[in-house]
This record gives sequence, C-alpha cells and structure tokens, in this order.
Amino acid sequence: MKHNVIITPDKVIVDGNELKHNEKGSALLTELYRNHIGDYPKFFKMDTLSKLGFITSELLLNIEGDRDFEPREDRAVILFNRNASLQADTHYQSTIQDPKHFFPSPAAFVYTLPNIVTGEIAIRNKYFGETSFIVIDDYDEQIIMKNLINAFQDPVTTSIIGGWVDCSDEEHFEAKIFLMEK
Amino acid sequence: MDELIYTLKQQIIEALNLEDMKPEDIDENATLFGEGLGLDSIDALELIVMMEKNYGIKLQDPAKGKEIFKSVAVMADFIAKNRTK
Repeated sequence: MKHNVIITPDKVIVDGNELKHNEKGSALLTELYRNHIGDYPKFFKMDTLSKLGFITSELLLNIEGDRDFEPREDRAVILFNRNASLQADTHYQSTIQDPKHFFPSPAAFVYTLPNIVTGEIAIRNKYFGETSFIVIDDYDEQIIMKNLINAFQDPVTTSIIGGWVDCSDEEHFEAKIFLMEK
Repeated sequence: MDELIYTLKQQIIEALNLEDMKPEDIDENATLFGEGLGLDSIDALELIVMMEKNYGIKLQDPAKGKEIFKSVAVMADFIAKNRTK
C-alpha cells in the first residue's frame, strides 16, 4: 500500500498526517475542493458519495506530485460501502414524492447508483481499467483486501485505488481510500 | 424581457448547480451548449424539467430543445410566448 487518505465529517488525514481545515460535513468537502482542486466544476453537480470519493481520490493522487492525466488501463478503481447510493436515492425521491409537484430530476437520477463514483474517478483521471463498486454489510478490511488482491490476478491491473467510501446523508460520511501497487 | 432573462439566468444557475457563477457572468446571446456554458445532455433534460416546473411549459418533442436552448435570449423568448404560469 503506497498512500492512504481518510475523510470523515470533521477530520482529514493524508498518509497519517491531519490536514488543517475550517469546515465540517458537506461544507468540508467544498472547502477541500476549493483549496486543493478547484478546476473541475462538475464537482458541484455530484451527489455526496461521488463528491466524497472524488475529493478523497484527488488528495490521494496529489501526494504523488505532478499529475499528467495520461490515459491508462493498468489502474483499477475498486470501492466498497454499506449505504450504496442512499443519499442520492433519497434526494431523487424528494423530487417525485409529491404528486402535485412531480418533477423528476435527471441530474439527481444519474447518481442513483453507487458505482457512479468509480466512474467519476475514472473519467477525471482517464482510467480505462477495471472499475467496481461492492456493497457489503459493514467495513471489513479482510473482505476489502481479498477483493483487491484478487483484482491483481488479471494481466492488466498493476495498481488500484481502493477502499471504503460511504455516506448515509450529506453530513454523515466516511472515506478510507488507498493506493495499492502490485 | 430583461427581467425574464435575468430571472432565467438565476434559475439556470440554481437548476444546474453552476456554482461560482452569477447572472452577470452569462451572456444571454452565447450558446448554452458546447463552447458557451459547456452544458451536457443531462443539463438539457434538467432545463426541460425547469421550464415545466417554473413556467408550466411541457416540451412534447425533446428534440426541439436544441433550438430552444440555443441561448438564454432564445429560451426567454420561447418562454414569454408559451408560458402558462
């Protein structure tokens, strides 16, 4: 395992070092975007799960220095969580809940699958390798590691962005993502 | 018409989560898709919903969106002529 990043509503840890910040919860994700990324306005259209996965992966990849965004197939994105896309599902439901104000939001609907976050990370970085999102009962390092090690069995994958990205609503989330190499 | 154009810009910013953008930043004659605001196909669908929600306009033929969403000015003109609320 090369690097790791942990983000909770009130803490950001990059390779074991706490990153200073002022905000908490959803505002923390926006603060991290503005201070450490800032050139990807699509961030504001994402649901909380994708925002969380995107920000965590950006901090992770920034550790390595200059990013060339060259297309590559050898890096997989394999993530896990407990709540699937619950926050996006709830948000979308709110747009169709009232029959008198039935205005289904296409922009909300497109995030009603948890694997969208792996796609967002792959699109941003031009990764054309494996992307998977696996929903499990609870954070379980053994299950996560077993799946990630299995992913190295294919002849293409040499590197994985993997780990846990979970959110139950806009203010409650947890990400533990790491960069692994074969 | 100027008031409708300004309101429309505000509604587009809100509906499409165009954070960091103000109505003044949008040229009402610039193309909305492609090089203009750089909107995508999901944004087009969101604009169709926004027109129904705010102005009671149901686009029967979504393909017409291409013409209507050419610019904010064209959109405002269409809304002024077809709005039911």
